[in-house]
Amino acid sequence: MATIPLNIDAFIGAALGPIAGVVTFWLLQLLLIEGQKRMLALLRHQHDAFCRFTNFVGILFQTVCHALGYTVTRSGIAAFQVTVNYGKVEPKKEKTGVFEWIAHSFLLFGPFFIPAGLVLLASYFVIGSGFSIPTVMDFTFVESLTVFGESLVRFGFAFLSFLATIDLFNPVHVGFLFVLLFFGLGIRPSYIGEERKEKIDMIHDLTRIKNHLIQKPVYILALIVIVYVFYLLSLFLNPQVYVGVFIVFGWMSLIAILALLLTYLVILLIRATDKIRPWWKTIPYMSLIVSYILARIFFLYYPRDDVETFSLLIMVVTTVVITILLIKYKRTNRFKTTTKMKHVRVADGKKRTVKKRTD
Amino acid sequence: MERKELLKNEQIERMLSPHPLSFMKLQVLCIFVIVWGIVVWWLTNFSTYAEMFTSNPWYPLILWGLVLLLIGVVASLVAIQWSIFFLYLGVFAGAVGLIVWQQWEADSTLFLLVYSIAVSIGGFLIVELYRRSHKYILTNLRVIFKGGLLTKRERTIRYDKIADIDAKQGILGQIFSFGTIIPVSQSGFGLGSDKTMAGGGLAVGTKKAKLFGFAGGGKEVQTPIARSYYELHGVYPYKDIKQLIEDLVQSHVPTQYQKEQVEFQKQAVDIQTQMRDLLHKQVSGKSRKRAVKQAVEEEEPEEEQIEVEETVVTKKTVAKEEAFEPEQVDVQQQMKDLLKKQKSVRVVEPEDEEEIEEEERENA
Repeated sequence: MATIPLNIDAFIGAALGPIAGVVTFWLLQLLLIEGQKRMLALLRHQHDAFCRFTNFVGILFQTVCHALGYTVTRSGIAAFQVTVNYGKVEPKKEKTGVFEWIAHSFLLFGPFFIPAGLVLLASYFVIGSGFSIPTVMDFTFVESLTVFGESLVRFGFAFLSFLATIDLFNPVHVGFLFVLLFFGLGIRPSYIGEERKEKIDMIHDLTRIKNHLIQKPVYILALIVIVYVFYLLSLFLNPQVYVGVFIVFGWMSLIAILALLLTYLVILLIRATDKIRPWWKTIPYMSLIVSYILARIFFLYYPRDDVETFSLLIMVVTTVVITILLIKYKRTNRFKTTTKMKHVRVADGKKRTVKKRTD
Repeated sequence: MERKELLKNEQIERMLSPHPLSFMKLQVLCIFVIVWGIVVWWLTNFSTYAEMFTSNPWYPLILWGLVLLLIGVVASLVAIQWSIFFLYLGVFAGAVGLIVWQQWEADSTLFLLVYSIAVSIGGFLIVELYRRSHKYILTNLRVIFKGGLLTKRERTIRYDKIADIDAKQGILGQIFSFGTIIPVSQSGFGLGSDKTMAGGGLAVGTKKAKLFGFAGGGKEVQTPIARSYYELHGVYPYKDIKQLIEDLVQSHVPTQYQKEQVEFQKQAVDIQTQMRDLLHKQVSGKSRKRAVKQAVEEEEPEEEQIEVEETVVTKKTVAKEEAFEPEQVDVQQQMKDLLKKQKSVRVVEPEDEEEIEEEERENA
């Protein structure tokens, strides 16, 4: 057992280090979610179904988290409904006080961490490395923050290495990739309720969380006390436990950030193909698959190390080049309107007239 | 749709067909076969468990077939449709038959991959053909449903015969804006029942005599259900179509106000018919009198010329006498009565539009 120095840093600073780390990553996650929302808003008029799908996944995660909150507080679930526009969870017993507060906390914070926790569990079996918690020695704010960061770097490196060497001929890897994309598209809290709200941005989310927190200041105080007691206990029994708990939250946040970045690529590809003429726009998607298969077949006859990485690289480069070429030579009519002019004329009752050149 | 198939004064409002993703339940069966074929191929060739399958060439086929049949049983129980199991059984039997016939045991893993892909593509094509065989025609008078691959089926329902409209939209439908609308007729066509049964057996004792118990339970629920060719299956855009059908049904449902209007019009027509008959009667009576009088005047022209003024007076007198003949008085009295009745039969108009709306809602 390590010797604990009797100073303020050990008793207060070291406790705050991991919390500061988690909050920082969570804010970064929020910023990336906001960016994704704005990107999706830009392609909404052309890909309404895709946006509705992402909305549904987000609502699904949030509704499940809310239901989990009621289950944890033993309120029971009387009604559970998830649609594309809203989700609804009704408890059997309307509990007030701390139970209600906990259930609402699940609703507000759950979507950021609970689905990420499931992906983390899956990644433990698929990746299997990078899940290590460094030892705490000096019990200072800087050290606990460094330990937190170091662990996240190791995990992040292992995760990125996996993504860089992902074998798309392996169904397990492909399945994990789909789960990651599914999670990345859905990690955005939406409004839950009968009423539909058009705009839910980061400020809206933060305001709701703030209102929830200041609604019951005593509970916040109690929570802080519980966390601090937990820190003190772990400080004397096993200092790794306290840091470890927050590191797990950090891993979840990191997974969410990486998933969001992956979905950025997907959304970018969709936006890029929107600039290409119909039918031609399918070529970039086909090139993703075909180039990877051809690369793998090529490396079957000319074997070398890092076949998966090179195949991925070839796939990405080919798709990017083909997309750029198509945008340059097969660009769609940029004056295209959302409603066809022909339909507008028919609706107006005006006939289409063609002016013949007289010269 | 050909013009001759339409009724008199019938116009086509919309022609619809199911959305390409509306038969996803059938497409999923094909997707599973293709995915499972790829997984088995990877598992038996490239995974860490590949060595397990090298000892016996039949192992990949057994694994592939067992999981396929297991999923078939589960899907059949969930969908209450045993045809899924028999479909997968047929696919499995086909694979076994081909391997035995062509003696492809050594390359069974590659064969299973190719076979799974081929069967899936075939399945997709059949589902697509089946989808394309469906046509729904909404006219101003009725809905016509057509469908069927080999046996062509057709159903027609008039809007005034639609008692209820059931509409459903799954998650995929909500995302891609399609849904299913079942018009339930007054005779109950479009209603079905879901029945679930549970059974269990228990054997007690290890010797010859065994007790065997069986428990079963059933639950039947009336639910709107129909074949895809008897409903508007997966129509796009769902909300617009639903609104259109509801409007058409509503326009064919007589409200209380409309019923009263029709009743009053009937009464008015009756009165007018009676009045016309009476007028005919009166006119025919007058003409007869006039004919008689003309004959008399022709016989005595001189007398008429001499006493012109007297004749005028006489004529007036005669006219008066004619008007007060008992038969004519009766006719006129009847006409007066009818006019009074017509006045009393006035069209009752509702006080405001809200009342009409309320009535319509009640009727709906």
